[in-house]
Amino acid sequence: MKRALYAGLVFGLVPLQTTMLTYVSIGGIRPDLCLVATCLVGFLAGEVEGMMLGLALGFVQDLFSASDLWLNLVTKAMIGLFAGVAARHLASATPAAILGTILAVSALSGMVFLGTVRGAGGLAEMGVALVSVVVPQALFDALVGAGTYWLIAGRTRLHPTTQVGTVPFAG
Amino acid sequence: MLLLLLALLFFVVFLLPRQARALLQTVGQPVAWVVSFPLKGFAAIDRSVMAVWERYLALRGIEEENRRLRREIQYLKGQNDQLQALAADTRRLAALLEFKERTSVQTLAARVIGRDSTNWYRAMVLDKGELDGVRAEMGVVTPAGVVGRVVKATRSTSVVLLVSDPNNAVTGLIQRTREEGIVEGTAEGRARLKYVPLLSTVRAGDTVITSGLTGGFPKGIMIGVVNRIEKEEGALFQSAEIVPDVDLSRVEEALIITSSNPVPQSGPGGAASPVEPSQREAR
Repeated sequence: MKRALYAGLVFGLVPLQTTMLTYVSIGGIRPDLCLVATCLVGFLAGEVEGMMLGLALGFVQDLFSASDLWLNLVTKAMIGLFAGVAARHLASATPAAILGTILAVSALSGMVFLGTVRGAGGLAEMGVALVSVVVPQALFDALVGAGTYWLIAGRTRLHPTTQVGTVPFAG
Repeated sequence: MLLLLLALLFFVVFLLPRQARALLQTVGQPVAWVVSFPLKGFAAIDRSVMAVWERYLALRGIEEENRRLRREIQYLKGQNDQLQALAADTRRLAALLEFKERTSVQTLAARVIGRDSTNWYRAMVLDKGELDGVRAEMGVVTPAGVVGRVVKATRSTSVVLLVSDPNNAVTGLIQRTREEGIVEGTAEGRARLKYVPLLSTVRAGDTVITSGLTGGFPKGIMIGVVNRIEKEEGALFQSAEIVPDVDLSRVEEALIITSSNPVPQSGPGGAASPVEPSQREAR
């Protein structure tokens, strides 16, 4: 079941991201569903699964982006790892905690992209990209992620892989 | 007693019929006049009831007809929308075909199936890939002008970096002054012609076309129109902001230039693809 879910995410999210998500974009900014999914899986199923899913999603995302073939692959894997580690150190998992975690990882990921993609454009261009892409996308991702967590956790009683808690999602 | 009276009445009627009829007629006149009032009243009520009933029945029919007509309107609207979409598709594809026939370069028509999977690039995904002969660095155009260049190709899809992306660079030529520069995208989604000599007389409204010096595009494909000139103090060159001629957010089909053969046909100023007003509408 879980494998089917991961396969569905790997093969379904990027097509969704490149096509239908244009309709929900705000000011040309779309939420990064791959980042949100990676973060949630890392949070709920642990850093290993988060990282593996991040690798797969990042790779597929790179195939359908003008970016270099490593950029999303590496950043998404790091995000899955970071989310899993963060979940272990959280006392309680709430949509607010998810919101904060995704906000942080999306902003960090955005800074990596900013330096890599727009680094050559100078400070002015980086400033424009920071305000017009990094910040709105981090907010968008955090809201979508927290909303999704609230929906799935409320219905399936999923809990993150905390140090003292159980790991039902990974079972 | 009553029987006796009844027998008398029958006797009179049968024995004196004419007189009896006249008598009854005379007595009946005022009775009929009196009865006529309630009769007319009832008749009026009857007419009203009939009218209401008929109207109700008629309304039921009209409601049904109205519903049918509404369904018909919906159907016709749908058909009209479909026909309009088909007409728009036909106009675009006809312009694309005409452009393809006018240029000697080998091109491959492709459909836009998506946008970049991140928010960091202005790029789009086409439905043609390596199996169709698409390779990285190939130019992508529409009848209106340059769209971008292929940066990545998988077996069945390819990613095109748009001319308005800051990471893209195409060599451009100012059509009027014949001066060259590098066209790069800007963060605002436009393009900028860089490295224009300080002594250049470039001005707003000038047309910028491809110079043909870099691979992917033949000489003379429309890039855009100069919007404003930017001169920085102490700089060795000036630059010009360009508004791309192609509405890059609405491209649905494009041509991938699969061969960089020189273009034999030359328009004014060396433009290989002078864009007709009718073709501009098809963008």
